[in-house]
Amino acid sequence: MLVKDYMTRHPIMISPETPATEAQRIMTENDVRHLPVVGDGKQILGLVSRNRLRVPPTDLGSLNVWEISRILSDLRVKDVMVNKKELITIDPDKTLEEAAQLLIKNKIGSLPVLEDNIVVGIISELDLLAELSTLLGGNVPGIRVTIRVPDKVGEYAKITSVIANNGWGIQTSGGVPSPKRAGFWDVVIKVRCESKEKLQSVLETIEGQEIIDVREVP
Amino acid sequence: MTELKKAPPVLRLEDVAVAYKVRGGEIEAVQNVSFDINRGETHGIVGESGCGKSTVAWAVLNFLGANGYVKRGSIKFQGQELVGVTGEKLRRLRGDQIAMVYQDPMQALNPSMRLGDQMSEVLTVHRDLPQNEAEKMCIEMLERVYMPDAANVMKRYPHQISGGQQQRVVIATALLNNPALLIMDEPTTALDVTVEAAVLDLIAELRREFDTAIMYITHNLGVVARVSTRVGVMYAGEMVERGTVEEIYKNPQHPYTQGLIRCVPKLGADKAKSVLYPIRGRVPPPNNRPTGCIFGPRCDYVQERCRRERPQLREIGQGTMVRCHFSEEIIAADWTPSEDIMPPEIKEKEVGAEAILSVNDLKKYYEVQGSSLKDVLGFGEKRYVKAVENATFDLHKGKTLGVVGESGCGKSTLIKALIGLEETTSGEAKFIGFDITNDISKREQSLIQELQMVFQNPDSTMNPSYTVGQQIGRPMERFNTVPKDQVRDEVIKLLESMRLGANYYDRLPRQLSGGEKQRVGIARALASYPDLVLCDEPVSALDVSVQAAILNLLLEVQQEFDTTLIFIAHDLSVVRFFSDQVAVMYLGQFMEIGPADAIYTPPYHPYSEALLSAVPIPDPEVTQKHIRLKGTVPSAIDPPSGCRFHTRCPRRDLMEDPKLCETESPPWREAGEGHRIFCHLPLDILKTFEPVITQMEGA
Repeated sequence: MLVKDYMTRHPIMISPETPATEAQRIMTENDVRHLPVVGDGKQILGLVSRNRLRVPPTDLGSLNVWEISRILSDLRVKDVMVNKKELITIDPDKTLEEAAQLLIKNKIGSLPVLEDNIVVGIISELDLLAELSTLLGGNVPGIRVTIRVPDKVGEYAKITSVIANNGWGIQTSGGVPSPKRAGFWDVVIKVRCESKEKLQSVLETIEGQEIIDVREVP
Repeated sequence: MTELKKAPPVLRLEDVAVAYKVRGGEIEAVQNVSFDINRGETHGIVGESGCGKSTVAWAVLNFLGANGYVKRGSIKFQGQELVGVTGEKLRRLRGDQIAMVYQDPMQALNPSMRLGDQMSEVLTVHRDLPQNEAEKMCIEMLERVYMPDAANVMKRYPHQISGGQQQRVVIATALLNNPALLIMDEPTTALDVTVEAAVLDLIAELRREFDTAIMYITHNLGVVARVSTRVGVMYAGEMVERGTVEEIYKNPQHPYTQGLIRCVPKLGADKAKSVLYPIRGRVPPPNNRPTGCIFGPRCDYVQERCRRERPQLREIGQGTMVRCHFSEEIIAADWTPSEDIMPPEIKEKEVGAEAILSVNDLKKYYEVQGSSLKDVLGFGEKRYVKAVENATFDLHKGKTLGVVGESGCGKSTLIKALIGLEETTSGEAKFIGFDITNDISKREQSLIQELQMVFQNPDSTMNPSYTVGQQIGRPMERFNTVPKDQVRDEVIKLLESMRLGANYYDRLPRQLSGGEKQRVGIARALASYPDLVLCDEPVSALDVSVQAAILNLLLEVQQEFDTTLIFIAHDLSVVRFFSDQVAVMYLGQFMEIGPADAIYTPPYHPYSEALLSAVPIPDPEVTQKHIRLKGTVPSAIDPPSGCRFHTRCPRRDLMEDPKLCETESPPWREAGEGHRIFCHLPLDILKTFEPVITQMEGA
């Protein structure tokens, strides 16, 4: 799960000389929120987001209609974009976690993906959320179980072996340090098996683990 | 993941019309074309020549020339309007985001520059990369398109690599800047089937890897079925049908699409499927399109409304769009061919015991002049291109022998040797008892009269300043087959049997279409009433609908005059229906020869098997075994020892002793009914090969 596998390749890009109104139109029409700004050979120069196009009222001088329209028509992408120097970008060979951390730390919505300063894609919070959803098996039917397990070696193996012994298969799995109980992990697995009750009764036989939630996902 | 995100299309054309300004007005070459291409999708565009496929592609890049322009509609690339974009912005788009691959790779490459220099130029100019880094990236890209010995290829000139490799260089160059849209205009048409298959595999793979949207233009329905997800069918400048590949092939809605599918040979599981039905008439020129439905004059279902009212492209479910008033009422399965396009019935004839042509161990070698001093002075060892080696076959009267193989395998040389354009090196060839191993200048006139030829390219084999009548009449006068005062009547009779009227007598070649020229070519070959006609790829330069008509015509002529034919083709599907016997050649050597049906079912020669699996089949429900030959045909100067095919043979691992293939020439294996296979593998093993082509269940 690397950035290059999940990024959007060939994002819509614009040049710095494009009028800001045009950038606004392109974003609305194509339903995108970020446009990398590039020069010759797709070299990165900056990034425009919808936020960046919110012109602060103070810039508009008086609220004279003529003046507003003059200011807007003079505004170029290069005047509003996040500049290359302050732009946060990522390498296509980084992991998705690294991308997520960058987004969180900087409170931003997307990262242009660069290879030698050339834009090869863009990865946004939506791409990451889409991945989270598929990671937890959001797109396949099955039985979803959350189990709280002690933070010890061998606990995961217990779960997989009882499931395998019954001839079922784990479709997806994920785990986080339990937010509720220190020293424990919350493990989410999705299993393909005939009934919820049967799975639950089998999992309950494992000692020291606690079933938090069982549900059937169609 | 993609289901959750709905991305806008990479390219969207809406109601585009392209016009060319000409003297006295302008011509709308393309009208009302709309389609869109999503990221990572291959969108095929098919149609006959002159239907405006390439014009659409050029319009996207604004390559229309000084007199062409987009008259109406909009072309949006990644949400940005392309119509009217000029100068710097256009240059940047062409270089960075949209790339194009053309039919002839030699025209896209600069012959005077090393390949490495022209490839790295893309990076040094557009991206300001330093030369050494650019070269490194080029080599990586060449390796990605499976170019053997990539680093070395960078140092070569275009003419030093083969056609398939040239096309790979062009594709690699196009991909260097990671374009969002790749326009491919007949990229495999000039290539051999085996190379074509490899290039098509490559395109499918690159599309997945780079997520590039591809607009794929071709006239070949088989190729489209193999590479695309959706297809648009163009006719006379309009898009007449658009839909997914499966729907278009299984359930074509527009009469033109139905006709197109009926006139391509299918190479399916049975022979009946390869019967061809041409579409009558031809594509109207853009300045003379009919009112109402443009396909009306050629349509079998035409009604009053079609003549009056031009149909609109409308949606009819399953995502299929069609431009026809009556598509719901037309049931393609109930279609019966009207009389004028009915393929001729094939009567079973008695085979005479005596073969009309009998060739035994025929060889044709060309001497090559070396460049060393020794060679120039004539002391060097003589080297030969072994163009035809040990050709042996018999051909009976009224039968057809099909000869297939990749280019450079000696098909044409064989024919040229038979007709006397080349003198043979050794061996026997007897034609109705006469020896024909000598040059044509030494032959009796009566012998020349009995042996005639139809050429691949009718344009270059006709005298442009002679009328059709003169061209056809000339052999009659030369051979005195017809009294002088009757020549004209006789020519007109021939023209009529070619379905060309008497009014063609006084026309000049430039006033004829490609198909008509080829008919004249056939008429000329038949003018001396020969016993044997040699056809060198007579249909490969023609459009599919014309191709079907010419093939049926040849069949008919054969029935009528009881002519014997030798028919060369590189396309295995064309030969199947047409021939009684098929010979497969590789590097000058016959690899397999036998009755047509036997060639297409096991036991196969491994080479025939590979050829069959490379033929693109215009039917998404047919599955083919995936066999790809590695490398290119070795040089005929230095053919591999033992079995000539051993360097590329995918079945060599079945041999108990693989060394045998390298050291000894294989034996002829007799498979019955004259079916012979030139292979070391015993028949029992060859018989265990599964059929290459299988129809999917439920189809």
